[in-house]
Amino acid sequence: MVETLHVKPLTQEFLESIGFWWHTDPDQTPYLTDTLVCVSEAEANAYYEAANTAYEMMVAGAEHVIRHNLFHELGIPFNLVELIRDSWENDVHWHLYGRFDFSGGLGGAPIKLIEFNADTPTALYETAIIQWAHLKYNGLNEAAQFNTLYEALKENFKRLVVFEGDTEAFGRHYEGWKILFSCMGGSIEDEVTTKLLQAAANEAGFHTDFAFVDAVGFNDEEGIFKGEEQFEYWFKLIPWEAIAVEEGTLALTLENIIKNQKAIILNPAYTLLFQSKGMLKILWELFPDHPLLLEARFEPLHVKQVQKPMFGREGANVHILDAAGHPVLEKGGVYGHHPKVFQAYAPFMEDGNKERYQAGVFFAYEGCGLGFRRGGEILDNYSKFVGHVIKESL
Amino acid sequence: MNIIRKTSDYAVAGGIGLLVVMGLQGCEQKGDEAAFTKASQTQGAFVVIGEEPNGGYTILDEYPSDVTRVILRTLDGNERILSDAELEALVAEEAKKIEAGTSALTGDKVSSGSMGLGEIVLASMAGAMIGSWIGGRLFNSPAYQQQRQSAYKNPQTYSRSVNSFQKARATGTTSSTPKRSGFFGSSGGTSQTGAVSGG
Repeated sequence: MVETLHVKPLTQEFLESIGFWWHTDPDQTPYLTDTLVCVSEAEANAYYEAANTAYEMMVAGAEHVIRHNLFHELGIPFNLVELIRDSWENDVHWHLYGRFDFSGGLGGAPIKLIEFNADTPTALYETAIIQWAHLKYNGLNEAAQFNTLYEALKENFKRLVVFEGDTEAFGRHYEGWKILFSCMGGSIEDEVTTKLLQAAANEAGFHTDFAFVDAVGFNDEEGIFKGEEQFEYWFKLIPWEAIAVEEGTLALTLENIIKNQKAIILNPAYTLLFQSKGMLKILWELFPDHPLLLEARFEPLHVKQVQKPMFGREGANVHILDAAGHPVLEKGGVYGHHPKVFQAYAPFMEDGNKERYQAGVFFAYEGCGLGFRRGGEILDNYSKFVGHVIKESL
Repeated sequence: MNIIRKTSDYAVAGGIGLLVVMGLQGCEQKGDEAAFTKASQTQGAFVVIGEEPNGGYTILDEYPSDVTRVILRTLDGNERILSDAELEALVAEEAKKIEAGTSALTGDKVSSGSMGLGEIVLASMAGAMIGSWIGGRLFNSPAYQQQRQSAYKNPQTYSRSVNSFQKARATGTTSSTPKRSGFFGSSGGTSQTGAVSGG
């Protein structure tokens, strides 16, 4: 069972003062809970190891997909295939960060991989900053958290230049390359998340700037611009599949920009392979019965299972089916036309009030930050963010 | 690898950590709600100064930040934000020493390498900003450049700092061919939780 600790909630006034405007859900309930999940050091370490292991499997899975040309199987739009290949083959396309979603991990429940949000994960601000502020606000030991996310991001920005080596070498190798950060206008959550990443890049030592995507200039031969200023890196908090489907011309231009070595795009195009739920099926084939994995196939299973669209988000179009394939619970949404993946059902952990929890572990070169989402059997955009505290410190 | 954060230190979250701490202490400035979203326009420095057992001070860390703040960590581990008035007083006092030729920053008087609080503040980027009115005098001094380096806890902090604050190199590759823009111009955040990204 999930143990929780009741704490004083952060005030809306404070949250807004630091730019966290999305503190209230559309039904006017707080998005942040006034509880923290209690985690032992051993459990935190197990989440860390699980994220590292899952990432290694993802890399092996991506290599398998690329070698055997299985892009179509994973629902990858055809106009991204070359981009994915090109980004995979060269180390300069460094994966900045992603977030693994796991069931289990507390009170002896086995950790199981639900999915990997590898391209444009949310909950970054909540995990890196808000849950830490929650400890501080309540007079708890602010160090008692599996949360080095912000530092890990800074280190990983430096690796864009030094790769695997010592990140202290950044200062010697950095030659003023600039990163332009972009998202779409109209979503304060996306904008603030993007600017949080920009702040980390700044502190790592990069020159950076921000522009909404519609103000960014693209040229096949010359690269990526804000006004007349050229940028060597472009970070976009915009899903690759949205670029492929909604702005096909942009996908083609980006492919040429990468081929002409005029800019590097973050997160790289190959993260779409990790992001595809089809990868769950590939991993099950490559690592059958691995303790971190749940059986996953493109056809219905013969156990209680979850049917997911290939690139769904926020629980949309996720269905829970019984062993005979009959629906037990269904969510509507806009991804109904996507190909489906069937994954064996793993129950989320519960607290004393029968609220369910999913663990999110950020990955930036290694596992680096834990946070929880609380909600129903299918977590949707009404699920709550729950911070955590290391039990031994209480 | 220890994954649990061991240092009880808001400097780990740099300028944002500082905003959080200020917010929690209830001393955020009114009308500064957009402080974080402006963080990219780094015009200031976030500096952590540590007290040394010998009575001197050293720069533990510094980052570009949207507002200039100096944190003082005393030997007992306590940390506090130096007020603007304190900083101005320290800089003013140091300015007098520079005038009189008794400042360790410009003179050749430093023997032990140990610097006072005023000297350390001025040696940091924050000091360079606050004390810009004495800038000409200070920054043209070769001794200052040397002393500045010794003010940092370790050479890495110094080199990273210099790097962080380096002005953008002469850029502006002026392009002759047209650039396409306006992609996703009609799109926008589609829900409260920002389903345009998500996951």
